[in-house]
Amino acid sequence: MDLAIETNNLKKYFGDIHAVDGIDLQIPRGSLFGVLGPHGAGKTTTLRMLSTILHPTSGEAAVLGFDIKKDAREIKKRIGVCPQELVLYPRLSARENIHLIAQMHGMAKKDYKERTDELLGKMNLLDRASSLVKGYSGGMKRRINVLMAVIHEPELLFFDEPTAGLDPQSRRVVWDFIRDFQEKESTIILTTHSMEEADDLSDELIIIDHGKIISQGTPDELKGKLGEGDILEFKIKEMEQRDEIIELAKTLDFVRWGKPVGKHRIVLNALDGLRRVSEIMDVVKVKMEDISVRKNTLEDVFIDLTGRRLRD
Amino acid sequence: MEQKLNPKVTQQLWYLTVKNFKSMIREVSQLIWIFGYPLLFMLLFRFAYGAEVYVFMAPGVTILGPVVLISQLAGHFADEKESGTLQRLITTPVSRQSILLSGLFSQLIVAVIQIVLMLLLSFLFGASYHPNANIFLVFLIPFLVAFSSLGFGLLLASFVKSAGSAGGLAWFIILPLQFLGGLLVSPDVLLLEFLPTALALRAMTAVMIDGSVAFDPVGLNLILITIWGIGLILLGILLFRRKTAIL
Repeated sequence: MDLAIETNNLKKYFGDIHAVDGIDLQIPRGSLFGVLGPHGAGKTTTLRMLSTILHPTSGEAAVLGFDIKKDAREIKKRIGVCPQELVLYPRLSARENIHLIAQMHGMAKKDYKERTDELLGKMNLLDRASSLVKGYSGGMKRRINVLMAVIHEPELLFFDEPTAGLDPQSRRVVWDFIRDFQEKESTIILTTHSMEEADDLSDELIIIDHGKIISQGTPDELKGKLGEGDILEFKIKEMEQRDEIIELAKTLDFVRWGKPVGKHRIVLNALDGLRRVSEIMDVVKVKMEDISVRKNTLEDVFIDLTGRRLRD
Repeated sequence: MEQKLNPKVTQQLWYLTVKNFKSMIREVSQLIWIFGYPLLFMLLFRFAYGAEVYVFMAPGVTILGPVVLISQLAGHFADEKESGTLQRLITTPVSRQSILLSGLFSQLIVAVIQIVLMLLLSFLFGASYHPNANIFLVFLIPFLVAFSSLGFGLLLASFVKSAGSAGGLAWFIILPLQFLGGLLVSPDVLLLEFLPTALALRAMTAVMIDGSVAFDPVGLNLILITIWGIGLILLGILLFRRKTAIL
């Protein structure tokens, strides 16, 4: 298999904090690979090591066939990085910001000018392209942030939370753009704490927590591990009884599993959950509030694995 | 996708310098600081103390402008660190040396504009230039002060984490250089003659007012200021590289 990224027991420690704690990855070229996890799970640290701006404490990693410790410049020629923060020059225009990255990569002037305008058009930013970025809205800045990572058509793209803080419409524009980019045979690594983003975009993904990979597979494979039931979530006041409530619920043959989440909520996996809520209520005999029933999501996979929400 | 791009260091350096320069001149507060601050002292000495005093203060006032570049350069790099643009640049195939040099070059361009403008205004306000005053030296002396100021700025940039703290801490260097170097007081009361501003003031006074080109006080002081500048910049580069090293 032709790999874009291969890591072996990759670690990064900051003193006593094990930000990344032994990650083994094999990411095929041309794939859109998601890295899902809560804030502080080690996603950005992993990305920084792979984009050669942070040295690992130990372990090995090869990016596009180059060693991250020895061949940083060769890797940098071939990658694009879209950071989580809005990293732009406020007193340059959108066009000038994008041109600067193209110039650092040695693109020919004619090429980067044409491509910049093409990209700005795709992101609906052409009419404001000559205005200074400091006057842009957050959503516009976020889109420029993305374009600066792709202007030089990199072989490998790192997107670190590319849609953080975006409204749903702008998020959709960025998602379409990322999908479109992948069709050009680039490899894309997408770190996100948004289950929808990971689910919608990733061919395959890992879920990481406390610097370790806790699950890996396609979104469907991961969700499939939870079984075919619906997810029934509700709030209760009697949290001291939560384990008892879960055990009672599990006595019903259509309840596959149950987990406490946070301080006041319980999640159950139940076949045909929507129609059978009343049966569950009869068994657990406590007041259930704020009840919701939905299909399995990656968030439920995370809850199943850790007992926490992605956003906790 | 086959990789065909091969960035050239000289081009990267040029584009970064242009970027820095554009960012600087588009910020009104920076323009006021670069040009307004020395102009304020020029006006103050000329109109508050009168033409006779101004004749003797003019050499110091022309040196005063380049000293503010300390906060300019420190602020520039601190801003690049704080806003994440430095890290974003480092993800591209550009070296940290090019980023550093581009910062220095863009400030030197500003210094040239500032010095030419201040010398012209100084002349218009009645500064006395000796008939034999060497115009090249009149320009070179404040330029070398700018050079050494950038060294101080780079040192400061290594330690500060935000543009705001760079601006504040820069005064702890600017004020001693100005007062202890004798720029804002009578040339007779120089307190620390080894400071680059004091060396420059002695040379500038000799060139502007006496029309001298002698090794002492002109040539020797120019050499000493240059040594200050080179030493500070090398130390600044070393520290800046260490502080922004990939860990």
